[in-house]
Amino acid sequence: MRYFCRMSAFKALWKKELMLEIRQKHALAGVAMYVLATVFVCYLSLEQIESVQVWGGLVWITGLFTAFNAMQKTFQQEGGGTQLYLYSLASPRAVMLAKATYNALLVAVLNVVSLLFFLLFFGDSVFAKADFYQLFLGLFLGSTGLGITLTFIAGLAYKSGAGVGLVAILGFPVIIPLLITIVRFTIGALLGVTFLNNGLHLLVLLILNGASLLLSLLLFPYLWRE
Amino acid sequence: MKTWLKVLAVIFLVYAVVASLMFPLAPGGLTVDIEKITPGENNFTFTGYNTHFKNDSLQVFVASGNTYFCCTVLEVIDDSRVRVSAALPDTLPSNDIGFYANTPVDGTVYVQKPIGSKEFTFIEGAKPMSACEVKVANDEHREFGYPFQIIIFETIRNLMWHVPMWFTMFVLMGISFAQSIRVLAKSGREDSLDASISFKTIAMFDLKAATAANTGLLFCVLGLITGSIWARFTWGDWWTNDPQLNGAMVVFLMYMAYFILRNSVNDEEKRTRLAAIFNIFAFILMVVLLMVMPRFAEGLHPGKSGNPAFSSYDLDSSLRMVFYPAVIGYILLGWWLYSIHLRIKKLEWRDEK
Repeated sequence: MRYFCRMSAFKALWKKELMLEIRQKHALAGVAMYVLATVFVCYLSLEQIESVQVWGGLVWITGLFTAFNAMQKTFQQEGGGTQLYLYSLASPRAVMLAKATYNALLVAVLNVVSLLFFLLFFGDSVFAKADFYQLFLGLFLGSTGLGITLTFIAGLAYKSGAGVGLVAILGFPVIIPLLITIVRFTIGALLGVTFLNNGLHLLVLLILNGASLLLSLLLFPYLWRE
Repeated sequence: MKTWLKVLAVIFLVYAVVASLMFPLAPGGLTVDIEKITPGENNFTFTGYNTHFKNDSLQVFVASGNTYFCCTVLEVIDDSRVRVSAALPDTLPSNDIGFYANTPVDGTVYVQKPIGSKEFTFIEGAKPMSACEVKVANDEHREFGYPFQIIIFETIRNLMWHVPMWFTMFVLMGISFAQSIRVLAKSGREDSLDASISFKTIAMFDLKAATAANTGLLFCVLGLITGSIWARFTWGDWWTNDPQLNGAMVVFLMYMAYFILRNSVNDEEKRTRLAAIFNIFAFILMVVLLMVMPRFAEGLHPGKSGNPAFSSYDLDSSLRMVFYPAVIGYILLGWWLYSIHLRIKKLEWRDEK
């Protein structure tokens, strides 16, 4: 931690992110509405889900698009002026670390909300054999992975100045490995596969999360430069 | 690229192409036309592949575990088909039944067929009177040939086409990755802007990175095509849910995204930097995706559970003899293509200035 940034800078940046979120409630409300609408459309088109595979896939596709939506604003909402101010105050790694951890938690919270909506519309029949510790561990790790990777990609897309569409183009390929792993892990957790057998996916997930966090911290200083 | 390397590339490639297509497959057993064996006389036709049954010392025998029963050759139809008759007792030592044929040229070829028969009594360690001692002149085939494997058959030749494509792609993407690191190292961090380095140096690194990735993408596509054809003939589908196949697709998408990013940034200095950042990110994920993830997943590629590619068991000496030169040849070809492509790009770059 000390190596990447000063604790005080990290705390101040976190506070800034939180304040921004509270002041611009409509942005978060928009994402939450998006989650609700997506799950509702899933419900209208499927009505009930008996297959664990379909449930796991849908939850993570919803999670993916939610994360895309939530991350798009992370650099856009603060104008060029704010960024110049941040640039002169904090080290780029502090900015990245604060944004990545904040967004990771934000996506985790949004995915819990989406899970609740799934529960509301589709009931709990898929949880018959589920291992809840694994399910929530997977939810947390998958969300943090989505948050970290997409924050970095959103920064890259923002700096390119080519518009929001680039987040999806750049983000999809790099997120697929994570998505495959987390969907498999979730399905395993729902089917009640023991931790020893399902744990390999968890290991891959940790490797992917670690790799994207480390890479974003290493590469962000080059990106942040104007 | 040095001239002698080009000559080497041509020699290796010509050798690999000719050898992979010309050498025959080793002899093997295809099938027997019998559904159920019964005590007493059993007449059936043994069909082999690339075999030489028109040989005086042809021996055909039925095995039950480690006990063999010699068959009487009724008629040798042609080199690959022989009609035989086997006399079997009531009691067999094992229900693991195999059909074997041996000639001095082909060595021993066999067909393993699950034949369950309730008419036999299976007693382990039984020694039936009619069992015969098998003495073969030659156990291995005499002529050079690629290993005969059921399901793969002649498509084993694709090993010398499909696999080198991925090796070459990795080498080229590695070059691209290294050049991208050089871009960032030279263009400097926000706090260490070095004005002494001219932009042209950085632009050349970026050009090398993009060209290597472009050539690598060509080999990625070739690998996907050859792999897809192979999958159709061995696994039954053009696309199967296999970690390596999905990984290859993701790699393709990643590098497409890299080119889209590179083309969508107008400012040249910014373009080199952003493209390099994305390239490094993508390459590391590609390594995780193609080298680490398949180890943990179930798949159809050989050597699964612990090894992402082939294991040493799958490659015998006849394959190695062609496979390694093919790998070197294709890597050299990739490098050659890359250097030509780079020259064109450099000229275009100079033209723009």
